[in-house]
Amino acid sequence: MVDSKKELRVLDCKATDHEYLHQDFHGALCYGIKYLDDHFGPEATAEYLRAVGRSYYAPLSQLLKNEGLTALEKHWNEIFTKEGGKFTLEYKDGALVLTVHECPAIAHLKKIHQLVTPRYCETTVVVNETICGEAGHACFTQYEPGEGRCVQKFWKRKE
Amino acid sequence: MISCTEFIPAYSELFKFLHAKGGKDAVVKFWESLSDEFLTNLRDLAASKGLAGCFEYWSHTLTEEAADFRMTLDEENGKFEIEMRHCPSMGMLNETKHIEAYEHYCEHCDVLYRRALEPLGFKYNIDLSTCKEARCNLTIEKKPQTWQR
Repeated sequence: MVDSKKELRVLDCKATDHEYLHQDFHGALCYGIKYLDDHFGPEATAEYLRAVGRSYYAPLSQLLKNEGLTALEKHWNEIFTKEGGKFTLEYKDGALVLTVHECPAIAHLKKIHQLVTPRYCETTVVVNETICGEAGHACFTQYEPGEGRCVQKFWKRKE
Repeated sequence: MISCTEFIPAYSELFKFLHAKGGKDAVVKFWESLSDEFLTNLRDLAASKGLAGCFEYWSHTLTEEAADFRMTLDEENGKFEIEMRHCPSMGMLNETKHIEAYEHYCEHCDVLYRRALEPLGFKYNIDLSTCKEARCNLTIEKKPQTWQR
């Protein structure tokens, strides 16, 4: 609600008034990756991303372990749909394949001119590897830096 | 992709990682760098439009973040205020039980915005005394004839 008077403007909002989707956050994360690379080196960046994978994404790893690839399928479907990405999900030879035709994060970073490092997509590579590694699965990501397109493949490791 | 809806926990983990590397100083240095390099939109809006630019900046960010807040711009008295009744970031960290928020998490709002606005001649204050409960109060005042276009 905006109440505009001559010298006083008020905006009063409840949490339920808007959907939670602030894509500028991708810019802050992109800057964070560049900062870590520049100040501590790429291995430190990977160490940080592995920490995020092990800590924040622990419940997703647990779901992957318990339910298999459908847990990842559901997760990718939710976040890429919410962010307006163009993508497909399919199963091929027992593996889950996520093909991202237009990454919403890269698209937004380009729009706001904050794609400050070509290494931004390492967030996907390292976090995915960590989530999968914790759950007895493996993955592979194929991408060209900054293109906003990639193919991510996930499968269960053989016992 | 780390979704923007998952960014806040990743951000908090970044602060914890930096703290482990070099103590709180390392975290503050990152916040200062982020303010200088990333907050150019706030800086530009405040420089060109004064307190109305601050209103414009936070109108955009806080609605996209689905915050519960009351924001007031009093041009006559040169004062802008945000009463944050429920911060979506701290709220999310409080609700995410399987990770612990960085202990100084809320201080980034002090460092980032103060550093962007005070050189422009604004007086910046943020009361973080209740920030662990996801509530805070931010005020920005225009020093008469000092903010620069």
